[in-house]
Amino acid sequence: MAAANEYKWRREKDGLGVWEHRGKVAVAGFGHSPVDRRWDGVSMDKTLGAYAMLACQKAMDEAGITADQVDGIVCCDSHIAGPSGGSASKWAPRPYFAPPYDSELGLTLVNAEWLIKQMGFKNVKFAPTKLPTIGEMVGMASQAVGDGVCSNCLVIYPCGNLEGRYRRGGENAEDHARGARQWTVPWGNHGGNDFINIFPHNQYCLKYGGKHDDLAPYVINQHRNGMLTPWGFNANHGIEPITVEDYVTSRYILNPLRLWDCDRPVNTATAYLFTTAARAKDMKQKPVYVLNHSQHNFKQRTTQPDLDEIELWTDIAAKRMYEGAGLGPKDVDIFNPYDGYATMSQFFLEGFQWHGVKRGDALKFYAGDIRVEGPHPFNSSGGNLGTGRVRCAMYTDAIEQLRGTAGKRQVTVRAETALAAFTTPSSGGWIMFGKHPG
Amino acid sequence: MAKLISFDIDGTLETGDPPGRITMDLVRQARDLGYIIGSCSDRTVGMQKRMWETHGITVAFTVLKHCLDQVRAAHDAEHYVHIGDTNIDKYYAELHGFTYFFPDESIDHLWQAE
Repeated sequence: MAAANEYKWRREKDGLGVWEHRGKVAVAGFGHSPVDRRWDGVSMDKTLGAYAMLACQKAMDEAGITADQVDGIVCCDSHIAGPSGGSASKWAPRPYFAPPYDSELGLTLVNAEWLIKQMGFKNVKFAPTKLPTIGEMVGMASQAVGDGVCSNCLVIYPCGNLEGRYRRGGENAEDHARGARQWTVPWGNHGGNDFINIFPHNQYCLKYGGKHDDLAPYVINQHRNGMLTPWGFNANHGIEPITVEDYVTSRYILNPLRLWDCDRPVNTATAYLFTTAARAKDMKQKPVYVLNHSQHNFKQRTTQPDLDEIELWTDIAAKRMYEGAGLGPKDVDIFNPYDGYATMSQFFLEGFQWHGVKRGDALKFYAGDIRVEGPHPFNSSGGNLGTGRVRCAMYTDAIEQLRGTAGKRQVTVRAETALAAFTTPSSGGWIMFGKHPG
Repeated sequence: MAKLISFDIDGTLETGDPPGRITMDLVRQARDLGYIIGSCSDRTVGMQKRMWETHGITVAFTVLKHCLDQVRAAHDAEHYVHIGDTNIDKYYAELHGFTYFFPDESIDHLWQAE
């Protein structure tokens, strides 16, 4: 097993040209564990570890391969919903177990080494550690397969949740907001995108017109798409569709961010099998090809980004992605940007100019027909808002749409290319899929 | 004058997610003791109403978590109580003049006949 942290896989610069492995890498399978609201701390068949193993098995079964054929494991080895939470995500409503059971692995944590041991992967030669989030992991796997570092690479993204207040570990568990945190999270907020995106969102409304609650049609449609996603949390837990009235009367989490603008933390794991295009042709499913991957990690000027920065960043991200894929806005059929907070999506939509949406047009676009049956099936995945904080709905939907297996979510427009991401405006990654390799 | 109890749902009532300590039987007992009862939750009002209907309990109010002031305005009561399991429950309860209780043994006295 090779620890490949030194591996240079990122495509995070401008002007890299068309990706050298365009169409030569494919996704051949995916698997979702059940999506629970939280782990109860007791059921050993519902731990994050058990669910990660289940997701891997499903992905392998779907592709029609066995554990012996897997030679790459890209597993987010961090804590609740990936490393983006920092020390705040090192949290549990109980002390960690005393030695010799002083490990959360298999319970609330999963890593490649643990998975390899538990699942008997004997031929793994690529299993990097200290991984980023899923938005970049899919790029890492794509590059590794393209470069020949491995051939059949499982990408595993566990998203955990436990009883109690979410992500109240590390600095968030302290009684004081120290250093720069005194300016950003004096009340103990985890400093996530709720706060980061509020200022630019307000600036957006001031600059272009519209008001926060114009997001309602988008959020409601995300819930609708989520109900059309059989594996998701909402579809399996009696969550009812919300109405405009429900949305506009819901309480503010951070004014103007409303309750329904935020995703719902869940306990689940997702796995994808990346392989070479040549191998994928002989597997069970119709291959979905990777046409490009790109990453970005922009440095912000102050504690909070402003609208100008966010628009610049998303413009750059779009340019990098389109250049590497050899495609333009008019070529993208399926567009699944991240929606962990509803206020984020408009920046991506306009940056990538999907369906001709330009800066300042998003709220008007949301008021139109964005249903999957309609002409502008925006975020057909339902995203996090519709399926829970899985952070993978965007990828699974893209794959299903291109395969033509999205069921009730299947769009009626052309579905030959798909863009998907878990990313914030400042950092993360994008991936472009194609129904055809060329 | 009657007393009023507002129940949070998730983490408070047995029907919540996660289930809480307060059973529907206990809610019925509160009603039978003469309390004005209802729910105050982040669940939509529609979901709250359907939950009560499912259990055959008629309540005086179903409001969103931040709307306890509406309950106070609509119902004259000797004492206003909100029971919920989070700091948000405590915040809004105290903001709107309710006595806040966490759903543990500290609420048992509410069910003891005076």
